[in-house]
Amino acid sequence: MTGKLLIPAFILMVIAQWFVPARMILQLENVISGGHEFRFRTAPVDPNDPFRGKYITLSYLNNDIPVEEGVWQNGDAVYVQLKTDSAGFAIISSLSNDEPTDTDAYINAYISYVGWDSIHTAYIQYPFDRYYMEEKKAPVAEQIYNEASRNQEKVTWAVVMVDRGRAVLKDVMIDGVPIRELARKPGTTVE
Amino acid sequence: MKLKDLATLVDAGVIDQATADRIAQYYIDKAGPPQNKMVIVFGIFGALLVGLGTTLILAHNWDELSRSIKTIIAFIPLLAGQILCAYSLMRKSGSTVWREASSTFLVLAIGICLSLISQIYNIPGKVSSFMLTWVLLALPVIYVMRSSTASMLYLAGITFYACEVGYWTRPVSESYAYWGLLLLALPHYYMLYRQRQSSNFFVFHNWFIPLSVITVLGTVATEIVELMFVAYMSLFGLLYLLGLTPVLGDQKIRNNGYLALGSLGTVGLLLGLSFDGFWQHLRTYEFPIQNWILTPEAIAATILTLAALGLLIFQKVRQGRWMMRPVETAFLLFVIIFFIGTVSAWVTVLINILVLGIGILTIREGARQNHFGILNYGLLIVSALIMCRFFDTEISFIVRGLLFVAVGIGFFVANYQMAKRKKQNAV
Repeated sequence: MTGKLLIPAFILMVIAQWFVPARMILQLENVISGGHEFRFRTAPVDPNDPFRGKYITLSYLNNDIPVEEGVWQNGDAVYVQLKTDSAGFAIISSLSNDEPTDTDAYINAYISYVGWDSIHTAYIQYPFDRYYMEEKKAPVAEQIYNEASRNQEKVTWAVVMVDRGRAVLKDVMIDGVPIRELARKPGTTVE
Repeated sequence: MKLKDLATLVDAGVIDQATADRIAQYYIDKAGPPQNKMVIVFGIFGALLVGLGTTLILAHNWDELSRSIKTIIAFIPLLAGQILCAYSLMRKSGSTVWREASSTFLVLAIGICLSLISQIYNIPGKVSSFMLTWVLLALPVIYVMRSSTASMLYLAGITFYACEVGYWTRPVSESYAYWGLLLLALPHYYMLYRQRQSSNFFVFHNWFIPLSVITVLGTVATEIVELMFVAYMSLFGLLYLLGLTPVLGDQKIRNNGYLALGSLGTVGLLLGLSFDGFWQHLRTYEFPIQNWILTPEAIAATILTLAALGLLIFQKVRQGRWMMRPVETAFLLFVIIFFIGTVSAWVTVLINILVLGIGILTIREGARQNHFGILNYGLLIVSALIMCRFFDTEISFIVRGLLFVAVGIGFFVANYQMAKRKKQNAV
């Protein structure tokens, strides 16, 4: 590319390279400022997870819902509508193929697998299973998280902002204290 | 010829000083403005290292910083890359080093920016959609900056994207977008082909593009995987024939990825299929035509076979005389052999004959061109074939032993003959 076209083309390229990331940020900021806050109960993860590093891996309780046989396949994309249970934690109210129109409190997710015992149950893979932290703190935090998740008396949850399909993981809490703060104190363990 | 040789020729009275000056001037003009290759290499590697280092430093994920500060930081490498690119366009437009190094850094900075955003907002996201955004934003760098490094990074990126979608993510899906993305890279490649045939970047592209296509073709497979053997064989045939087209055919073999990969791929695949295992499976397979005729595999195989056939006919018409090159018709014969293979156990015999034929033709080609590499490649094909038959237990040890001895002697004799002939020619 040469001559007269070069400068406009360069400017267009720069605009595109700013526009796309900026739009991503704006969409996510909109979720954080205008979305519904949900608390997702978390479960301990496999301590041998090889991908630990600068983030902690989260897994969730209450990510299942009874379904009719044959409607959903493993790996299907799905809209997950959410509601809050009596203890204030998020549970699934329904699954659908079509985008819900009557509420903003739904997320785009995937069916992890459909299990059947006496009833068919769909398990959802939530798109917020990583919580990034400083590389030194992440292993400490993951240990704290796992110990707390296994400890029956401790309640661990993730604070997630949800708005029309998008979800942003804001914080991970153990008994109401952000894990970031727990990991900051050296030598912190959870009894 | 080195320029210092000119002085020797002038001293010996072979040419006069004026001619020597004209020759020297010709080589200086031909080389264009001095661009030290090492400086270009180090420039590009420097940019790659700085880019990757920046990624690691930012990946530390400084907890103490607020979200907005982190977001601003995410854009700093991008801005730096763009400023460097603007500077090289406006002030250093003649410098390959500046152009390639700043473009390399900008391409990496785009990736840094995108991955920092997903880190700041805790989105694991899909690697495939991340890659897709990255390559699409990097695409204009190739054309605005006329950067071949950006083009190669782009090719690597789209290949990774297609593998991620088509091989590594469960459930796998088709990655048809790859073919469109590949087309978008071709105008730059065409520019290299037209204007910079002797540049290393053209040579790298001659390897990158066929390797990428070979890697990704397998993602087409969804239903009748067996047909992919036909698709791959025709792809190798097509690559080989492309490697024989005028501009590429003039390149050295090591610079001609099409020819090398086409030939190696054809021979390798045929050797693999010279065992009966695959064909046994194929013979027990229900193969009614309506089940496979419209599958993606069949369509890919048909398109590739027709493309290779078209190119073969075009080449033969252009040459005007029939000169059999070793691998060029193997793909056509394979289509016939494949369908024989669905019903008959004789197929492995046909494949053995085909490989043997390729080996012998390659040896003849090596002898005709007086080229040790091609000659020994042909001998290697024959030995590999015998090696494969070594594993088939039904052939007696004596026959196998004799075959090995014969090929060993063949290696000696053929190389000795050629060395002798070269020596005679030299004298």
